[in-house]
Amino acid sequence: MTSTTPPTTPPTSSSSPSSLPRRTVLATGAAGAAAAGVLGSGVRPAQADPTGQPGQAGAAERAKAKHEVFQHGVASGDPLPRRVVIWTRVTPTPAATAGSGKGGPVTVTWQVAKDKRFRKVVSKGRFLTSAGRDHTVKLDAKGLKPDTEYFYRFRALGQKSPVGRLRTAPRKRAALDNLRFGVVSCANLEAGFFSSYRGLAARDDLHAVLHLGDYLYEYPTGGYGMGQGNVVVRPHDPPHEMVSLEDYRRRHANYKADPDLQALHARYSWILTWDDHEVTNDQWKSGAENHDESEGDYKVRRARAHRAYDEWMPVRMDGTAALGDGTRLYRRLRFGQLAEVSMLDLRTYRDEQAALPGVDPTVSDPSRSITGKKQMAWLKESLTRGDHAPQWKVIGNPVMIAPVTFGDLPNDLIDPINDVTGILPGDGAPYNVDQWDGYTADRREVLGHIRDHQVKDVLFITGDIHSGWACELPLDTSTQPLYGDSYGVEFVCSSVTSNNLKDITGVPQLTPIVETAILANNRHIKYLDFDNHGYSVLDITPARAQMDWYVIGARDDAATPIEWSTSYATQAGTGRITPVDAPLEA
Amino acid sequence: MCQDTPLAGSPERAARRLAEIRASRRSVLTAAASGLAFSSAVGAAAPAGAASARTKKRCYVLVTDGCRPDEITPTLTPNLHALRSGGMWWPRATSMPVMETIPNHVMMMTGVRPDRSGVPANSFYDRELGEIRDMDRPSDIRVKTIIERLGKRGFTTGTVLSKEYLVGIFGERATHRWEPELYIPVSGHAPDLLTYNALTSMVDEFDPHLVFVNLGDIDRVGHTDLTGTNLRLLRQAALLDTDLLVGRFIDSLKSSGAWDHSMVIVIADHSMDWSIPTNVITLQGAMDEDPLLGGNVVIADNGGADLVYWTGPSGKLDKAVKRIQQIAEATPGVLKAWDRRTPWLRLGPESGDVVVFCQAGWRFSDPDPITSNPIPGNHGHPATRSIPFFIGGGHPVVKTGKVFSAHARTVDVAPTVARFFGMPTPKKRYDGKPRI
Repeated sequence: MTSTTPPTTPPTSSSSPSSLPRRTVLATGAAGAAAAGVLGSGVRPAQADPTGQPGQAGAAERAKAKHEVFQHGVASGDPLPRRVVIWTRVTPTPAATAGSGKGGPVTVTWQVAKDKRFRKVVSKGRFLTSAGRDHTVKLDAKGLKPDTEYFYRFRALGQKSPVGRLRTAPRKRAALDNLRFGVVSCANLEAGFFSSYRGLAARDDLHAVLHLGDYLYEYPTGGYGMGQGNVVVRPHDPPHEMVSLEDYRRRHANYKADPDLQALHARYSWILTWDDHEVTNDQWKSGAENHDESEGDYKVRRARAHRAYDEWMPVRMDGTAALGDGTRLYRRLRFGQLAEVSMLDLRTYRDEQAALPGVDPTVSDPSRSITGKKQMAWLKESLTRGDHAPQWKVIGNPVMIAPVTFGDLPNDLIDPINDVTGILPGDGAPYNVDQWDGYTADRREVLGHIRDHQVKDVLFITGDIHSGWACELPLDTSTQPLYGDSYGVEFVCSSVTSNNLKDITGVPQLTPIVETAILANNRHIKYLDFDNHGYSVLDITPARAQMDWYVIGARDDAATPIEWSTSYATQAGTGRITPVDAPLEA
Repeated sequence: MCQDTPLAGSPERAARRLAEIRASRRSVLTAAASGLAFSSAVGAAAPAGAASARTKKRCYVLVTDGCRPDEITPTLTPNLHALRSGGMWWPRATSMPVMETIPNHVMMMTGVRPDRSGVPANSFYDRELGEIRDMDRPSDIRVKTIIERLGKRGFTTGTVLSKEYLVGIFGERATHRWEPELYIPVSGHAPDLLTYNALTSMVDEFDPHLVFVNLGDIDRVGHTDLTGTNLRLLRQAALLDTDLLVGRFIDSLKSSGAWDHSMVIVIADHSMDWSIPTNVITLQGAMDEDPLLGGNVVIADNGGADLVYWTGPSGKLDKAVKRIQQIAEATPGVLKAWDRRTPWLRLGPESGDVVVFCQAGWRFSDPDPITSNPIPGNHGHPATRSIPFFIGGGHPVVKTGKVFSAHARTVDVAPTVARFFGMPTPKKRYDGKPRI
């Protein structure tokens, strides 16, 4: 979510365990404080620790019984045919908490094996980490075979990490029958448990997980809680807004202590990009909505956020797993001849959002950009890379590209919609200036490029807006219903926990009115769900791409049920969307 | 003038070319039971089953000229859609530069790119003659086609081509050939119903191992469809009709039992894009006004692509190429002006020195902005590169309901046909890949 303004009122509910739903407390009691992320033992719902949070305090409690070196799980990411990034963090002493700067250097050994008992180790090595990199371990595990599943683990200070599982990408020219991704975005720890991560971790049919951004949130405790009441289901650590490098490191540790998140990281390799909240709300290249002079120089703050991200996330920046060699996050990952995933960074290079949407010609000023010049050239190259480019051009897109316009929407609904999506400013002008709608020249350039080169099978996979959407991508929304021209498809996953329309209004009955109005005024939008949280599963074959939307129940229930909601597909070569009757077989 | 337009042919020209072909001492004229006349190689006008290569295998290459892949739908083209669904389909398939009829038909039958075949476009500037002409002479193809390769090994072949220049360039290569007596004035092609009758008649009379068919209605109607930018009313009617004929042909194969040993390749040579009258690009005037280029540039208009030839001193070629690119790329509607020597283009010297593509929704009209190319439907530019490409048939080599991510191209047809008939790989390898 990019346009949400944190409530100015304090949280109306405490974060103590007693405020949790009874069944959550019972679940916690039954499961105890078992470490998460252990493969082969099934996927447990998240547990609140005795302090009601999964962060530093929880780790400290556990450390009293026996100091755990690997408190933040393991992770892998950015799979290539012969190498994958693997990650962990060590806590060498109880005092060496994230961001503390305490603790000496530690040599960590790592192994990648064909079997989970590590009898057939295919790659191994040592890695020296220290407080200078917040005791994180991140490296490219090399010497692997394409399209192969492996197990990996770390050892340090006499302890073993949980075991992770990864899968390499297929060879460049491999012909694949299918490719399946979990799709998530917008996980606000204070707004609920990460049941969506639990749901995906329980599956055994994915190749990787796509995360479209807002992996964590910068707000202080109570700054952006659950629903109208701003309930803090689990408090952030640190309790204040993250600004310093220590803050960012601690917040990453806070999130990485969540057992559902740990389970999903351990189960699959992730392919991530960031949106705004990894730094701060509505950031652009030289500033952000949620940044002021009292918080120091914006670019210094951003550099700290990027540094912590590089330390704590299993991604390659500037093409490497090394720290400090660059912060370029936009990159491509190829999966045989079937697909290539191009992950965008739509924050670091963008011009400032327009101030007056609707009446401000800034939104269509061709000198403004959401991608920046270099990334735009790179994106266009991703779409037309000669004769050997893969079939499906999957664009990991942090904010929506489909145009959203409005006609007669009731005035009473403008504010709540805007709280969720930022689509509507108060004057009713039909633009969300934080999305591609605020940078229409860039959108025209991308869609025009697709049209000029007759690029087929372009698939934007998007997060950010806390709601599920399936859209065709016309150049001209006014003629599209009649002529049917569409230059790609956009599937938008809902949020893991971050608030949506029902959460803001507290009146679920309003949602159908809003959805009907939007769908009626935007015929290229085929599906819209403003009220649910969850995750998606994207399945790609040579014949079609299908997205399934799964929704969770109560966000403050760690064991909440998860249900299939709906599915839409686009057939190869069409750029059109059709509903599908049933979800993919897991 | 774009030579792939309905204005290209003329009855007089067709009659003259037909007379030339039939005057050849290597052909005999055969009247089929249907009343249609076929030209056949001397000694080859034998009844069905007399082929020296004894195999039941049959291959039919059906080119739905100018068809866009998104026009193959269950409602608009149910027979084509069923054939695609029941066979092997490559959704990523494309035409190759220049996305015109003649070069892509030649790529289909030679399996090589234009820098080897010598055929890069429909219309080019013949430096020897000092004039712009169609690439419609048999000698324009510099390499062996799969038609000739099959013939050399005792297989019989047939061409059923609805367009005059295709009849011209493939000449007498096939064992049996249908050369339309008359082309429709204005459209310049034989209608699909007549082409269909010729196809079925040729199969009934001669039953060639390979028949190469061009169905021209979809393309020809598309060129002139003034509703092309939006409703495409005429185009859709043509698609319905052509689909019906393909369905009939498939039914005939099934009812005769030939289906069980047949492979049917359905492909287009390019797709189609439509422009409005204001989206017209003319480069000739700007070139003429330039001090370096004036009087030293000739343009061959190919609808969505202009081939620009430097005719000045060879020592100034590089400078001229840069200047041509500058002027072209500064012109509204131009997508890109490529130095023809750019390796990936794989275009030979016949295509000039600079190849200029237009954006979607535009067209070239050179040298005259009004008269040279007045039609709305064009191709030749990248916006017309996607094509349908699928293989049906009852022969076991055809897999059922299989979709492939591989990038199939027009140049893949010849190697696919060659593999089907068990032909050896030629010493100078194909540029395309077999898709079975």
